[in-house]
Amino acid sequence: MSLFLIVALPFLGALLPGLMNSAGRQACAGITFTVTLSAFIGLLTNAPAVFAGNVVTVGVDWMPLLGLNFNLMLDGLGFFFAMLILGIGLLIITYARFYLSREDNMGEFFTYLLLFQGAMVGIVLSDNILLLLIFWELTSLSSFLLIGYWKHLPEGRQGARMALTVTGMGGLSMIGGMLILGQIAGSYDLSVILENRELIQESPLYLPALILILLGCFTKSAQFPFHFWLPHAMAAPTPVSAYLHSATMVKAGIFLMARMWPVLSGTTEWFVIVTTAGLITMVLGAVIALFKHDLKALLAFSTVSHLGLITMLLGTGTAFGAMAAMFHILNHATFKAALFMSAGIVDHEAHTRDIRRLGGLRHLMPITFVIATLGALSMAGIPLLNGFLSKEMMLEEANRTVLFNTPWLVPVMATVGSLFSAAYCFRLISHTFLGPVRKDYPSAPHDPGAGLWMPPAILIVPVIAIGVAPFLAEPFVKMVTASVLGEAAEVPTAYFKIWHGLVPALFMSIIATVGGLILLGLFKPLLRGWDAAPRPEAKVIFEGLVEGIVAVAKRLVLPLHDGSFSRYSAFAAVTIIGVGYYAWMTGTVGTATRELQPAGPVPVAGWLMLVAAALGLVFLHRNRLLSLVLIGIAGLMVSVGFVFFSAPDLAMTQFTVEAVTIILLLLALNFLPNRTPVESTVLRRSRDTVIAVAGGLATFALSYHYLLRDSVAPAISAFHVENSYKGGGGTNMVNVILVDFRGFDTYGEIIVLGIAALVIYALTEALLGGPVRARLLNRLPDQPRAGDMHPMMMVVMTRVMMPIIMMVGFYIFLRGHNEPGGGFISGLVVSIGVVIQYMASGFGWTTARLRYPYHGIIGAGVLIAGLTGIGSWFVAKPFLTSDFTYVRIPPFNEFELATAALFDLGVFLAVVGAVMLALESLSRLARRQEAMESEYPMDIDPSREDNDVALQKEEA
Amino acid sequence: MTPADLTLILPEILLSVYAMVMLLVAVYTTKDALASTLVWMTAGVMIALGAWIGITGEGTNIAFNGMLIEDGFARFAKVTILLSAAAVLVMSEGYMKQRDLLRFEYPLLVALSAVGMMVMVSAGDLMTLYMGLELQSLALYVVASLRRDSVKSTEAGLKYFVLGALSSGLLLYGASLVYGYAGTTLFSGIIETAQHGDVSLGLLFGLVFLIAGMAFKVSAVPFHMWTPDVYEGAPTPITAFFATAPKVAAMGLFARVLHDAFGNAVSDWSQIVALLSVLSMFLGAIAAIGQTNIKRLMAFSSIAHMGYALMGLAAGTVLGVQAMLIYMAIYVTMNVGTFAFILMMEKDGQPVTDIASLNMYSKQEPGKALAMLVLLFSLAGVPPMLGFFGKFYVLRAAYEAGLAWLAIAGVIASVIGAYYYLRIVFFMYFGDDSQEGLDKGGSTVLWGFLMASAAVMVLGIINMFGVEAAAAAAAATLVN
Repeated sequence: MSLFLIVALPFLGALLPGLMNSAGRQACAGITFTVTLSAFIGLLTNAPAVFAGNVVTVGVDWMPLLGLNFNLMLDGLGFFFAMLILGIGLLIITYARFYLSREDNMGEFFTYLLLFQGAMVGIVLSDNILLLLIFWELTSLSSFLLIGYWKHLPEGRQGARMALTVTGMGGLSMIGGMLILGQIAGSYDLSVILENRELIQESPLYLPALILILLGCFTKSAQFPFHFWLPHAMAAPTPVSAYLHSATMVKAGIFLMARMWPVLSGTTEWFVIVTTAGLITMVLGAVIALFKHDLKALLAFSTVSHLGLITMLLGTGTAFGAMAAMFHILNHATFKAALFMSAGIVDHEAHTRDIRRLGGLRHLMPITFVIATLGALSMAGIPLLNGFLSKEMMLEEANRTVLFNTPWLVPVMATVGSLFSAAYCFRLISHTFLGPVRKDYPSAPHDPGAGLWMPPAILIVPVIAIGVAPFLAEPFVKMVTASVLGEAAEVPTAYFKIWHGLVPALFMSIIATVGGLILLGLFKPLLRGWDAAPRPEAKVIFEGLVEGIVAVAKRLVLPLHDGSFSRYSAFAAVTIIGVGYYAWMTGTVGTATRELQPAGPVPVAGWLMLVAAALGLVFLHRNRLLSLVLIGIAGLMVSVGFVFFSAPDLAMTQFTVEAVTIILLLLALNFLPNRTPVESTVLRRSRDTVIAVAGGLATFALSYHYLLRDSVAPAISAFHVENSYKGGGGTNMVNVILVDFRGFDTYGEIIVLGIAALVIYALTEALLGGPVRARLLNRLPDQPRAGDMHPMMMVVMTRVMMPIIMMVGFYIFLRGHNEPGGGFISGLVVSIGVVIQYMASGFGWTTARLRYPYHGIIGAGVLIAGLTGIGSWFVAKPFLTSDFTYVRIPPFNEFELATAALFDLGVFLAVVGAVMLALESLSRLARRQEAMESEYPMDIDPSREDNDVALQKEEA
Repeated sequence: MTPADLTLILPEILLSVYAMVMLLVAVYTTKDALASTLVWMTAGVMIALGAWIGITGEGTNIAFNGMLIEDGFARFAKVTILLSAAAVLVMSEGYMKQRDLLRFEYPLLVALSAVGMMVMVSAGDLMTLYMGLELQSLALYVVASLRRDSVKSTEAGLKYFVLGALSSGLLLYGASLVYGYAGTTLFSGIIETAQHGDVSLGLLFGLVFLIAGMAFKVSAVPFHMWTPDVYEGAPTPITAFFATAPKVAAMGLFARVLHDAFGNAVSDWSQIVALLSVLSMFLGAIAAIGQTNIKRLMAFSSIAHMGYALMGLAAGTVLGVQAMLIYMAIYVTMNVGTFAFILMMEKDGQPVTDIASLNMYSKQEPGKALAMLVLLFSLAGVPPMLGFFGKFYVLRAAYEAGLAWLAIAGVIASVIGAYYYLRIVFFMYFGDDSQEGLDKGGSTVLWGFLMASAAVMVLGIINMFGVEAAAAAAAATLVN
């Protein structure tokens, strides 16, 4: 049968029991059995080829770009494991049919079981490590569902959580190992990887790959320090424990180590890591198992111990060790599955698995007794049973292994492990089955029907057969070993036999068995000692570790993301400075191409004022009014700086914008207390200082660097210098750029400006119409207001200045094309002129004198600019093409008329309208209820006082 | 501005015209009463445009003298953006309507931000880049604080806005430096100046600031700080939107700039991107461990996922870009499903975001729990779910580009990250069922998205629905 079909059968078959759930338990179990049997037979059809030493392969490309191919191969190792999975699967299915109660949803159970089975078969037949990974995690997933099937037990939940966490994380880390392995070998196909032993072992990434893969193997096969999850997963129903946690899933890690043996083993790293972990697991598992009272827990720890034994054998890296490992896998699978099923029978019949409540079952359950005793004796390593043979081989191998330069270490540990192993086996037999019959069993135990005892009984057959006639297993085990070793080593020639003569292994075995009996005799005092001794419980440690990690994560991260904005920006700032430093260090720094300019006394004085204002601001910023003044100084100095660097246009713009901004900020002061609140600690301020200074220095260094070097590309100014007068008819280049070269941009900008002002208007309007209005009107000022709202001096001054400002504005507008100035600046100047009227004479007075609404002014500005642009269409030129001419009207000198001036007028109007509309809208927020707008433009007016007096007289 | 140029950006034009027209129509007619219709209409328009772009687009076309590039890469990203935005829109309708959050502006803002994203991934010039980025961001700022009466939402929106403005400023600063030292804003011009081993300090600074600005948009560590707050504060459908389309667009833009403009100086940015990547992966993985709010958890999860996507970029190869595209496509699909589930998390009609409320969810809703299990496994990158393939692709790309350390770090981060995804699974399957669970049932639309997304995670492993080849073709057009 094709390998595809063998892998696919359980998956496809998995649908059936779920669908047939209503057809009854018998049908579900029957179909599951049939599906598994077909796959098993399919596997057997390939047996001749495998026994002939061939490797059966099939393959189809799946995601070739990723290196993932659906390649399967069947060699001795794969055949061996597939046989275990499917063969024991058949027995487990039969057993489960009779084990599960009527209430259990059998269809669901068998669906998950088949899924799991398919995944396991997939692992052992994969010829692609990515495919193997997929099946690997599928076993985790389906086992999770299988365990989750029994969710009613609280310890079952715990067990499932731990099992999935540990194996899931191990599986994920294996992804990394597989990635490295595949990349080193240049292919993700196992057959290719297995041929690249030297390449992989010489790679500098061999160690990380080894560790990552072993993490996956150790977690899956419950090796130290990950051994703790397996016993806790045993809360699952017995068929699941027997299948997953003894015969198959936990062997996946072992399988992978055997699979990778030719490429990974043989190095010191492999030897030290794998042998040590195996040795510790073996001894630890055996010791703990002795003191467990739950039959399944005892068996679980014994499984851990035996897995450790196999791991240790693989770790030695010798061909003999590998052969012993393979032999023990076979033996362990048979006796351990039989034991698990027997334990399940005891649980099923006596309704308890607690050894302390059992005993004397020999008389009540003779069949179970025989099966369990044979299994346990085999596990203890008693001659004529198969466990003895592989154990002898293990001891022989241990005897030859030197770890950490200590020749006695491994043999002694192995003997101790065997000793405890024998002890718990004897305890299992004597405390469960021997002794007097008790009267207080939770349920009257008796032998079950053949459906339950037959599967373990079948497994006992090879236990005895191999035990009595080892040569029966020899060819098969050697064939499997040959495929494990690949080309890395020769299959050992040693024969399988019961009597090897008086070799050290035999003495170790005798010590173990006798010691085991002695331990059993001393069990009660030992147990007291064990219960009294403080011992670290791996599960508690694990949970503590997880909790610790969570706590650390919380402590690390939560304060970091506490919602504090300043922290967020501090992080961003520090990073940017850091990365900037990195760029500075790694970039190519050319030599300076420009000279430093001499600094005269005036610029230095200006610079000092700027620095003083900035520093002053840092220290005095709590006083809002003062800081506003300081900001003004800084702005002024920047404007002066523009003058110094021959940019009068920029200076004028900056200057006027500065004035408007200060007015806006003054407006804001209305709503704010006089001083800013103190919210930061000294520590925080020092932190901020450090960041700010670093940022400032970085910016300084950057600017300094740039200013001393020419730019890469020729500056665009040359073009403007050349074309400004010739093409635009103006000598003020900035203005020509604004109204001519980039006229279209300017047009867009004034529209945006107008829209922005309208939006501010709309927003404040909406605010004042809503519930905020009352709060704004009724707010209490936090400091006394000045008595005179409209001081006479200020009113008079502003009114006198108004026409002058208008004149200046007009002048700036007119000269704009050739001299510094233009529509934008003059718009700002005129706005300031109007704004100060608001400030001095009051809102009502000013509004009453305004003839045109600001919206209209904005609209008119945009319209004029637009029409100017359209005008050029009439002379068949593109939008906004400007033209100019020179006219002479006596007695004036010749002067220039340009369409650009018309456009500039539009800019002017739009700026005036937008600035005024925005400021007016915002200032409306500041108006308060109790300060009703005075009707009079001036607080003090001699003529008006007479009127008041006259009025009072009249009233009187 | 020739007709051919305009034809190339016809989808963008159509979508923006649609959004503006519908805005006016809604303002002058029934306003919010029209919102549900608009949601479905907008989603329909976006799906239609996505299909149109995906089916008819061919070759590499350049418009507006190279300022806009319409190639396979752009099309791949656009289709992903449009489809995911449409999906999130449809998912949000019921939720927002029920909580009286559904304003007619919402679908139109999403549409406008989608226009911005489409421009971003097509940008061939620093100016186009900035235009697209800002259009997208401005719409997102508004959307983030859509729930104006919630302090959390407005605070989150404001933070996002201020930090976003800061990052835009950085990006602009970088762009102007690049312009100053390359003499052009066209990517095709910059790439000629920015030759390997000969990158001037100015250009390097420009690049660094550009990367910092873009890192903010993809919420890479340490520019990620806004993410948890915004994810938590914004209404869940909007969180879902944040987690999907904008991330694709930002990653697309990232790849576009790095490869189209600085493709000849890979070694100059590879290390920085790798650093961002490794920081994001680890912070995302570690920070999510302690979270109890599923939206905050998803924020950190998205940070970690961006780390993996950045790993693909850090590789600086065709395979890297391809891996990044595949990763993003899978990431978006997973997130759509996960957020569909989160949107369904309700107790007595009120939305719940506490993870503990999922205790024993599998008992109540086995179907939904199973779908969520699949999605969570996929998010964790556990094979055989589709998420594993995405992850493996980027790991491989990084490894092949000589960044083995980054790949190994990524594996370790994914091992740590698996913990919190699996924790949710435990809650659902083995939790403590003493408390009262979530409401049963829920919207059919959301159920459909959840199931579809989970199904894709499982069925996608057959051939990734052809995304693999499409991404390969797209990546090949970008890197040459």
